[in-house]
Amino acid sequence: MRGRPSTVWIATAAALLALLLAALARVPGTGAAARSGDGLAWLHLAAYGVGAMGVIFLGVGYRRCAGAVTSIATRLSSPEPAGTERDGPRAPGALTEAVDARLARNEAVIQELRGQLRDLQVRSQLAEREKRHTEAILYSLRDAVLVVDGADKLLMANEPAAGLFGFDAGDSRRQPLAEIVGQTQAEFVELLRQSRRTRTEATKREIVIAREDRPHTYEVIVSCVQEDGKALGVVAVLHDVTKEKEVAQMKNDFVSHVSHELKTPLASITAYSEMLADGEANDEETRKEFYAVIQSQAQRLNRLIEDILNISRIESGLIKVRKEQASLTILIQEQLQMIRNYAEEKQITVTAGPPIVYDQVYVDKDMLSQVIINLLSNAVKYTPAGGRVSVGTEVDEAARLARVTVTDTGAGIPAEEIGHLFEKFYRVSANNKLAKGTGLGLNLVKQIVEKVHNGRVFVTSEVGVGSTFGFELPLATAAEVVAV
Amino acid sequence: MANKVLVADDEIHIIHVVAIKLRNNGYEVIAANNGAEAYDLACRENPDVVVTDYQMPLMTGLELVTKMRTDERTRDIPVILLTARSFAVSQEQQESLGIASCLSKPFSPKELLKTIQDILHQRQLAAKC
Repeated sequence: MRGRPSTVWIATAAALLALLLAALARVPGTGAAARSGDGLAWLHLAAYGVGAMGVIFLGVGYRRCAGAVTSIATRLSSPEPAGTERDGPRAPGALTEAVDARLARNEAVIQELRGQLRDLQVRSQLAEREKRHTEAILYSLRDAVLVVDGADKLLMANEPAAGLFGFDAGDSRRQPLAEIVGQTQAEFVELLRQSRRTRTEATKREIVIAREDRPHTYEVIVSCVQEDGKALGVVAVLHDVTKEKEVAQMKNDFVSHVSHELKTPLASITAYSEMLADGEANDEETRKEFYAVIQSQAQRLNRLIEDILNISRIESGLIKVRKEQASLTILIQEQLQMIRNYAEEKQITVTAGPPIVYDQVYVDKDMLSQVIINLLSNAVKYTPAGGRVSVGTEVDEAARLARVTVTDTGAGIPAEEIGHLFEKFYRVSANNKLAKGTGLGLNLVKQIVEKVHNGRVFVTSEVGVGSTFGFELPLATAAEVVAV
Repeated sequence: MANKVLVADDEIHIIHVVAIKLRNNGYEVIAANNGAEAYDLACRENPDVVVTDYQMPLMTGLELVTKMRTDERTRDIPVILLTARSFAVSQEQQESLGIASCLSKPFSPKELLKTIQDILHQRQLAAKC
């Protein structure tokens, strides 16, 4: 503006000149007005001409001003650096369009940002919800779960973990793990450190932790949490496998016991049959003797297998039971006949008490016979020569129960072992050497009496004096008697 | 003079069949029904070989061998252990107690006879050296 002749100034000067000429033409007495009417007309014409020039110049000036404003506005709104515009100043319409376009672009950006914000909010909510779910899962787990950071400080622990190691889950956050769990758990702490140092994922190890009742075995899974190769912390899950281990041990013991018991008669069968095949039985009498041994051992094997299967069937509820009305006295007499030879061999006197008036029970006869013979043979087996075994029967009318007892003058059972007597394969250690046995007989008695007949078994004993084993069964009801 | 074998088992049928097999092959057989009786017989009769069951009343086969190894009279008698329990006796136990052989039940009388023959043969060779 400064370097050029100012159009605005020219226009303004022309306008002022026109106004002056017009004023002279109108003022009376002035030289121009007084001279003549034609002179006045020229003066008017000149004034109008100068005024028109002023208007033209003003229009040009306005256009230039508008161009300058547009240019400034464009520069302000355009990301291009100043001085790059080559098309010259824009018209006001172009400015509006540019502003509108920019506004539209900005609006789009704002909409996009709003969308992203909403997305982030949703993701944040989902993450929060997921975190709560994860925490809920961790806190509802029965397994102990611990999370430590990269400096082995506690980040999170559920209640089972706090209970196991004896700390407060809330107060112990950010505390060193070694301090929280105590010196006795050095192995566990070292396991976590090792996982972090070696960046190991999902290592499994068994550790033993002392509890109030007994040492428990835990299967520990530790996993290092990493990000970009850096260890952020370690997650440890401790699952108590004590029960599983005990069950596995019981299964192993069971298999070991069963195989031993099966092998004993099998050893005789194998040896005698080999001797027969090799012609080692020199005469007919010896051959017959060998056959008899093979037969008796095969029967023994069969009884053993039957006992194991019966216990298994009763436990699983798959045994077929045929209950009928029966006299306890008759069942006992039958079994006494069976045991008498064995008792005489051992010089043991077996007696039975007087029969009871009403002794009707509703039972599976074969099973109850098994109960009675098992109790009688045990009594004879563990009673030294010259001893006595007596069988008693009584009825409790009020309770509607029949009670059978087998009392011996045997070695007796230490008090601490009485509670285990009816367990499968359990044998009294002190009496183990007195006689052989499978440890299945009393378990079968208990299963038959209690599971099949809703009765009860019991035992009393005194070491060096003797034992009384017995059972109670409900008396047959009128309906059961009629049904038969 | 016949070699003397002590057979200890609480299964009377096992004693019977082993005794027949060994007697048919020229051995003298003495028998015991439990570990304690077997130990007494071993001390008194000085058998050339003891064949004992692992699980017996009063004294197990393992207890019998342990006791025999502490007694001068029975220290050097070779022992063959019959067992129905697999892995009942570890290799270390077998070596430390000087158990010559372990046979698992069911066993073959022929195999038992051969084992006894091998043990006695080795002892004869060792005695000559």
